Amino acid sequence: MSRDDILARIRRHRPTASKLPDIHAPAFICYEDRFAQFATLIGNLGGHALTLAPGQTVREAVNAHWPEQGRVVDTRQAMLDEAATPHDWADVDIAIVPGQLAVAENAAVWVSQDALAYRSLYFLAQRLAMVVPQGALVDTMRDAYDRVEFAEHGFGSFISGSSRTADIEQSLVMGAHGAMAALVVFE
Amino acid sequence: MKDDSIRHPDAARAFLADRERARWHDSAIWWVRQKRDAQMAQLPEWETLRSMAEQIKAHTLSHLDEYLEAFERKAQENGVVVHWAKDADEHNRIVHGLLAERGVNKLVKSKSMLTEECGLNPYLEARGVEVIDTDLGERIVQLRHEAPSHIVMPAIHLKKQQIGELFERELGTEPGNADPTYLTHAARANLRGHFLSAGAGLTGVNFAIAETGGLVVCTNEGNADLGSALPPLHIACMGLEKLIPRLEHLGVFTRLLARSAIGSPTTTYTSHFNKPRPGGELHVVIVDNGRSEILGRADFYQSLRCIRCGACMNTCPVYRRSSGYSYSYIIPGPIGSTLGPSRDIRKHASMAFACTTCASCDNVCPVRIPLSGQLVAQRARAWQAGALPAGKRAAIGALGALARHPALFALAGKTLRKVVPILPERIAQNTPYSRPGRALPEMPAQSFREWWLQNRKKP
Amino acid sequence: MKIGLFVPCHVNELAPEVAIATLELLEGYGLTVDYPLAQTCCGQPQFNNGDVAGANRAAMRFADVFDGYDYIVSPGTSCVSHIGAHTPDALSGTRSRVYELVEFLQDVLKVEHLPKPVYFPHKVSLHQSCHGLRLRAHATPSERMLPWQSRLERILSLVDGVSVVHPPRRDECCGFGGSFCVDEPDVSVAMGEDRVDGHAATGAEFIVGAEPSCLMHMGGVIRAQGKPIRPLHIALLLTGRGGA
Repeated sequence: MSRDDILARIRRHRPTASKLPDIHAPAFICYEDRFAQFATLIGNLGGHALTLAPGQTVREAVNAHWPEQGRVVDTRQAMLDEAATPHDWADVDIAIVPGQLAVAENAAVWVSQDALAYRSLYFLAQRLAMVVPQGALVDTMRDAYDRVEFAEHGFGSFISGSSRTADIEQSLVMGAHGAMAALVVFE
Repeated sequence: MKDDSIRHPDAARAFLADRERARWHDSAIWWVRQKRDAQMAQLPEWETLRSMAEQIKAHTLSHLDEYLEAFERKAQENGVVVHWAKDADEHNRIVHGLLAERGVNKLVKSKSMLTEECGLNPYLEARGVEVIDTDLGERIVQLRHEAPSHIVMPAIHLKKQQIGELFERELGTEPGNADPTYLTHAARANLRGHFLSAGAGLTGVNFAIAETGGLVVCTNEGNADLGSALPPLHIACMGLEKLIPRLEHLGVFTRLLARSAIGSPTTTYTSHFNKPRPGGELHVVIVDNGRSEILGRADFYQSLRCIRCGACMNTCPVYRRSSGYSYSYIIPGPIGSTLGPSRDIRKHASMAFACTTCASCDNVCPVRIPLSGQLVAQRARAWQAGALPAGKRAAIGALGALARHPALFALAGKTLRKVVPILPERIAQNTPYSRPGRALPEMPAQSFREWWLQNRKKP
Repeated sequence: MKIGLFVPCHVNELAPEVAIATLELLEGYGLTVDYPLAQTCCGQPQFNNGDVAGANRAAMRFADVFDGYDYIVSPGTSCVSHIGAHTPDALSGTRSRVYELVEFLQDVLKVEHLPKPVYFPHKVSLHQSCHGLRLRAHATPSERMLPWQSRLERILSLVDGVSVVHPPRRDECCGFGGSFCVDEPDVSVAMGEDRVDGHAATGAEFIVGAEPSCLMHMGGVIRAQGKPIRPLHIALLLTGRGGA
């Protein structure tokens, strides 16, 4: 059986043992203004970040940012009209989803939601709005991994800006396969 | 798949025949190196991260059997089916078997150098499966029936006009339109149809986590996400060196990967797959294909730390001026030039010599693989295997023999100095050193040794 | 202080003036320098072509020839790097006594002035040879996140009038690479051209470096293509032999 042969060969060939480093020991970068860092960065990555004005709702902020809208799905709604198959999200224009935390160093937002069975929504939607609690903005990915939680179905993703590619002559193009534009709303 | 018989110097010469195009290739890739430098400059802890990444990978390799078993156990608990493949053939048979059992005739694939290594596409196509590469660069080279020329930027060797013509032919885009945005969005529209109609999606794996049994796949385009979220079957193929012990270790690797690879602070999507999607299946194929042999070689096992960022290619002055197609192994550049010769030193010997030992690759490598040292160590294997050209072997032998006799050594040097200036032009232009654009060194009348004997030798 | 001068083969035959300048510079500081006549090849070509046994024989021979010297000083960074990094552990005593010229001036002699003042009112572009840079920390490699330092810049601060610049792609390889230059002549020439063009683009009159083989290679490109710049080894500059 290949499994046992492979493991036996690995055991025979083990290099000299070495220890794991303590990745929490050294000090890493801290940003004076995490939101400014996040917002500047995502501006170059096909996205936009904003903080809700007093009294403003998420929907109002999204509507102001993207006035022209097709089908909108907001998975934060209590009565989510769930798709029957992952393919049913194919015609979604704007998806509004909760993000559990955001990362200043790379403008990434962690998304992982129990209520959403078919994660295809994140990637099929033409535009993606992620809604993050204001206090959930950390400096680095080290901090982020200390806090990530997985939904019951076991999928989570850090999403940073919009889908993009530079495969044609290094020209950066937004909207390779996933969202053409991203919006992060801190509420 | 590539042709094993490629010799780097010959292929590089052909590539450099179009000097302007070669200059463009060099500049396009150097631009990525500069972006990487700019990202590095923003992180004071950069060198600490590299050391940590090295240490985590070194530790993992020294306990790899334990971590693989822990990963397998945890993945199975999560409802993931784990397969083991000792070589490329077994890998291909497993993937094909999964597709055949479910009657899948269309597979969408995201980038995986492992499947290139295994020759999966031709294997499946010969058995009637339509394989669609979905990374834009990979789709481009697939439509051109080429291998990727770079592991992160598969179509970096092509000009946009060539891609425009290709898409006009294959996707029906407007004649003469070579605008990257237009072409990218044409491919997006075309590939969406494939994503929605495929019966299975195959992805590579950037990291596999022993602690959680989870897989991490990083892309900028989102193609791995669509390919794994839509079809009911997700197959993830990974080399057995992709393990890391704990989730928290991603806090090191995700900070290095995209910065090193493309000079971006992260990939757009860093997706974690712990379980099959609701109503779907998730299968992972763990592939050896020579890796456990490399693990046993003290000079080379460090190459298994590689996270396939391609930074070594971007910095390599030889790669930039010769392109990925000048290398006989599927993975080009410095890392390929140790992995290829590790697999077969006779076939890939020329790769180990396609290096000035400038060692820039050692410094950009996010997991600190001593690449330039490995290339030189591969030359020692080539020497032992008799894979050096006979003339070169003889010359090195002669140098060693002469060097044992200072007077003879001096005589040989003097002969060289006296003969070169009087060589007929026809011969002077055909020495192994001669090339248009580079003159032979000027030959002084007197060596330092002669000068010393004349001026300083104590009586 | 007993000093043995190690003159790499290519310097001995092709750039004797660099060795003479090195000798005179050391003597200018009042040192007695010997040139052991039994020295030949350090073994780097064998090592880089996979002949490890041959390289080790050459290294053992090198250690014997230079046995008894307190310091072994050389005007070539590459061969010094080879002895320092790639010789058998049994030779660690020899390894630790080998210095490239500028290293020796700065780390052992700790010089603060030149033996004879040098006035060199020219713009020079520094060529940071790879082995000195990445194996012996002659400067901060551009790939690394470390504080900036440069041995060549520091030693040139002792020269009057000189203005120092770096080429674009500050420390890219010139494409010499020992036997690489004949194994891969086309890539080697392309790299040489690009490197020379980079140095010339600074408007400098000279390419100054501490490794004679890189300078020789670039010199061949310059002569064949009539580029408006000249290679100059640091030892020649520091002894007033800039020849401008």
